[in-house]
Amino acid sequence: MLELYTSEPNTFFLKPLIALHEKQAAFTTHWFDPDELEPSGLDFSAEVEAHLHLEREGPLLRHDGTLISNSFFMLEYIAEALPGEKLLPDAPYDLYRAHASGQFLGAQLGSLVPVLGCVRYLAPRLNAMDRSALDARLARVTPQERRLAWQALVDGTYTPQILATARERLKLPVSRVESQLAQAAWLAGPDYSIADIDAFAMLRAVPDLAPEIVNATATPRILDFLARIEARPAVHAALATSRSGKPHQHFVPGVEPSRWG
Amino acid sequence: MTVHLYHWEPNANSGKPMLALAEKGVEFESHYVDLLKFDQHQPEYLQVNPDGTIPTMVHGDRVLIESTPMMEYVDDAFEGPPLRPTDPRERWRMRWWMRFFDSYFAPSLSMIGWSVFVGPAVRQRPREELEAAIARIPLESRRIAWRKAMFNEFSEAELAESRRRVTFCTGILEDHLARHEWIAGTRYSLGDMNGFNLGYALPLSQPDHCNDTRTPHIMEWLRRIYERPAARKIWSLGRTAMAQRVKFLERAAHA
Repeated sequence: MLELYTSEPNTFFLKPLIALHEKQAAFTTHWFDPDELEPSGLDFSAEVEAHLHLEREGPLLRHDGTLISNSFFMLEYIAEALPGEKLLPDAPYDLYRAHASGQFLGAQLGSLVPVLGCVRYLAPRLNAMDRSALDARLARVTPQERRLAWQALVDGTYTPQILATARERLKLPVSRVESQLAQAAWLAGPDYSIADIDAFAMLRAVPDLAPEIVNATATPRILDFLARIEARPAVHAALATSRSGKPHQHFVPGVEPSRWG
Repeated sequence: MTVHLYHWEPNANSGKPMLALAEKGVEFESHYVDLLKFDQHQPEYLQVNPDGTIPTMVHGDRVLIESTPMMEYVDDAFEGPPLRPTDPRERWRMRWWMRFFDSYFAPSLSMIGWSVFVGPAVRQRPREELEAAIARIPLESRRIAWRKAMFNEFSEAELAESRRRVTFCTGILEDHLARHEWIAGTRYSLGDMNGFNLGYALPLSQPDHCNDTRTPHIMEWLRRIYERPAARKIWSLGRTAMAQRVKFLERAAHA
């Protein structure tokens, strides 16, 4: 039995939805609203990999009792464990490129895109809530890194200077993807793979959040890449699960930026 | 086709592909890159890896620079004993823990290590020499890290948080190894090799938190890995006192 704990199909949540639809897998969904700060309603106490996974909120996949966390490793799991479309390259070096892309973009886009998206869309929603009720909810959030990430959205941590630094740092992963797409149509080998799903789910938000960085002049290959993936039936099916009709306005704090500065 | 591995000590990121290659039974041509002499930012090395990070593996015309995916490549590309579980759940658990080590445990442990070992080891050099060394570093994130280490710019709050996380992670790892024989579950895998590179010196660097009384499962896990011929072979390649700390894991030393 395959169950996906999911929310609005954007960033981390979008990845497994696409992969499961590409596989044409039969699965049920359990919807939760991360803004409520009680993700999925599951008791994680005995599931360290679900409680401490570094994307914090984010999708969870339960397969015959095992809880699978981390959206990129979830893609690898779906690719390896389920029948259907392969979604993984064959050649060892192409497999390395898929793993390395997941690691690099997971750290870079996984921390930077959520910051820009949360400040733009989530922070105003939080600030519209009754502050004492919000504080009471925040006080119950664990682990402390997750609580601090949410608090930062309402306590003025994200100054214009910090956001400018985030935008500047976004240029590195964006330029690397643009360069890779100048060499080949897909990011890890001759065919569409989980590396493309992973990058698509994060980059799809960037033309809206940082149009000065991803646009037709600066990154034509990324825009073409996004359009090619957007046209896939599995992506249509994944995006159609949105309840708000505006999945691009829903973000969670995501991966912690490097503590080294 | 010869495998060329550019690496520093058998420790942290450098040690991961070294140990994976040894476990797979793959000979490699070793290129020692002295981190403390900033060899990794010299033009000759930047021709191999323009990011100036260590390690780098070159296999034919393929260049690999991410150490954990590099370990998976070793398992995919060469004949030899499998280094990953075949069960997809155990394989996922192996990857989850490698990410937890790489992105949460290691940055905190290395912040402490850089503040007490790497920084002092280079800090006595003239300021202008250190500034020039920083200017040669290609990646902004690495320039920030080196500046903090060289000029001791870690704040007490940063170091305190790193110490908290190291203590927390040591407890989490002990609990995990109390339930599972190996990181992925039932068999030795890349997850254990990754964790060993991170944690082989924990009993010495964190003696109050990692010892036979408080963390018996971690201690036994580390000793079992160090008893493997591949680990013996790779740690014998160490040139510094840092790598020699592994000898603390000799059972005879404490019998």
